[in-house]
Amino acid sequence: MKKTIALLLSCVLLFCSLSLLAGCGKTETDVNAPDAGADTTKVALVVAGKFGDRSFYDSSKEGADRLVADCGVTLTTIECNNENHDAQMRNAADAADIVVCVGWEFYNIETIAPEYPDVHWIWIDNATSQPVANVLNITYAQNEGSYLAGYIAAAMSESGVVGAVGGEDCDTINDFLVGYAQGAAAFSPDVKVVTNYTGTYDDPAAGKECAIALNDQGADVIFQIASAAGDGVFEAAKAKGFYAIGVDCDQKYIADDVIICSMKKEVGNSIYDAIKAYLGGDTSKWGTTWVADMSNGYVSIGYGEEGSTQQVSDEIKQQVEALEKQIVSGEIVVDTTRK
Amino acid sequence: MSEILRSIFSVGTFNQMLRSATPVALAAIGGSMTEHAGIMNIGMDGMILMGAFFGVLGSYLFSSAAAGLALAVLMGILVGLFFALLVVKLRSDEFIIGCALNTFALGLTTYLSRSIFGAAGTKGNPFLPTVSLPLLEKIPFVGQILNGHSLFVYLTWLLVLLMWLFVYKTPYGFWLRAAGEKPQTLRTAGVSPEKMKWLASILCGIFCALAGAHLSLGQLNGTFAENMSNSRGFIAFACVIFAAANPAKAYLAALMFGFFDAIGLRLQDYISSDLSGMIPYLITVIMMVYVVVRGQRRKQRARQNTAPADAPPAAAGR
Repeated sequence: MKKTIALLLSCVLLFCSLSLLAGCGKTETDVNAPDAGADTTKVALVVAGKFGDRSFYDSSKEGADRLVADCGVTLTTIECNNENHDAQMRNAADAADIVVCVGWEFYNIETIAPEYPDVHWIWIDNATSQPVANVLNITYAQNEGSYLAGYIAAAMSESGVVGAVGGEDCDTINDFLVGYAQGAAAFSPDVKVVTNYTGTYDDPAAGKECAIALNDQGADVIFQIASAAGDGVFEAAKAKGFYAIGVDCDQKYIADDVIICSMKKEVGNSIYDAIKAYLGGDTSKWGTTWVADMSNGYVSIGYGEEGSTQQVSDEIKQQVEALEKQIVSGEIVVDTTRK
Repeated sequence: MSEILRSIFSVGTFNQMLRSATPVALAAIGGSMTEHAGIMNIGMDGMILMGAFFGVLGSYLFSSAAAGLALAVLMGILVGLFFALLVVKLRSDEFIIGCALNTFALGLTTYLSRSIFGAAGTKGNPFLPTVSLPLLEKIPFVGQILNGHSLFVYLTWLLVLLMWLFVYKTPYGFWLRAAGEKPQTLRTAGVSPEKMKWLASILCGIFCALAGAHLSLGQLNGTFAENMSNSRGFIAFACVIFAAANPAKAYLAALMFGFFDAIGLRLQDYISSDLSGMIPYLITVIMMVYVVVRGQRRKQRARQNTAPADAPPAAAGR
């Protein structure tokens, strides 16, 4: 008898956990579109991590939500929670016309996408080694934005040491770091850049420790590139009294008094524009890699909403604008780790 | 070389050691209780996560860090009861229940966090105070290391002492250990081993909840992030095994883990971060091997000492 109850309870427990977990990765269909029915295109948004990072993934969701509102497409979202990327890609492709894979981790798209020739794929933040006919790669010139962030950091630093906390030692994160270091050196070759990696995107406590360790080395402006773990960088900034720079979204609102600016990667806008083009019948971009960079406005620096505290002086902002123009014109070439 | 050493053995390193060790140590104290009672509890990670979430939720709902702590502890008790119901009363496999608890906690906290706080999460809730002792401040180096931490860094010292006394100096502690080692004997003595297991499970729930609440309400000033426990429960479990479930030794093991965590972070300047990130875990493995080898040696010696009395048939056979 006891055994049976135990078995039943365990089953219920497991079932609850599974359904809850599935709940986070569950199909979430938005029906509050104003002119729903105008379009029957089904879009699936598959993110490698999970929403709630207030930067990269949330930005993609925001862009997709805007598509729902403006064009009436049907949206399905899937969060991979850093696992089962391949299976989730297939799940998405089974039920959608456009699959947007957000995260550099979806590298098996090269083999999976050809299995679904009718589906239009968009891969965010990385590019296939060979062009695949039905895959549109969108990569971002985060090195260019980070260059400006590095310049601002160096200009705002009193100690002459600036820091950056990365999520992990990989190409995409390092692309931020090289741009950042180059930008800091552009302000003054004497500025020292110190960096470390959290090794996790989930754990804000790890991000806080990383930032404090950099602060111990003298860094008084720290750039966070670590998703939710980066929240800890802001906490450290508040506790230790140094400045921080946000990433991907304009994160100023999270901690107005310590976040001086954010390096924005307009993931949402780029998804929006790509799918808008598709809906307009323009699929010419598929099969290519589209670099969303500073010249087309997808990478920029944000200083927060109107009314937020401005630590960065107008003088520095003007210098940054001038640098931006030089990068766009090709006068300044920013290093990259991308091949 | 001396510069490397200086950067490694700085005040910051020892500060981080204390900060990183505290949540692990609190969970390890709880884990020691279940370990003594003979329950292999790998569900601590989930319990920490629950504590972290409900701590922030309480702080958010009642605008008070104390209320957050109270809610976390209340949920810790409930989770402990639930765990005991399945493992002690219904005798399910503790390993499976532990796994299920971890998955369940991740799902539940993620779900609740998103439905209550929205995808953007919550911040800026009242948090636990940091303690600054003017007396301590005056001591150079040691004062810098020990001063200015969150409340629970200090409370943990007290709790370690209390639980050590509880386990080794009170009859309850004696029964708790007996419940794990010789349950039949304990039953003969008129004490129910099941009751002690229930107690151990609840205590574990409370301590893991404190660990979680310290993580979110103390260390991160009222921030909750999904999956923020980041496997601390498993590190705590390793500390429990290493310390043979002695709370004081478990605290030292947690300190050691915190120390190597801090060293690993500072070594990133010299070696790849993927390698340096392994250091705490590598040390854990080495610690475990040491414990196993030492345990076997001790057993062997004990066997040799008692061999003449125990093994006359074998001697006769020879």
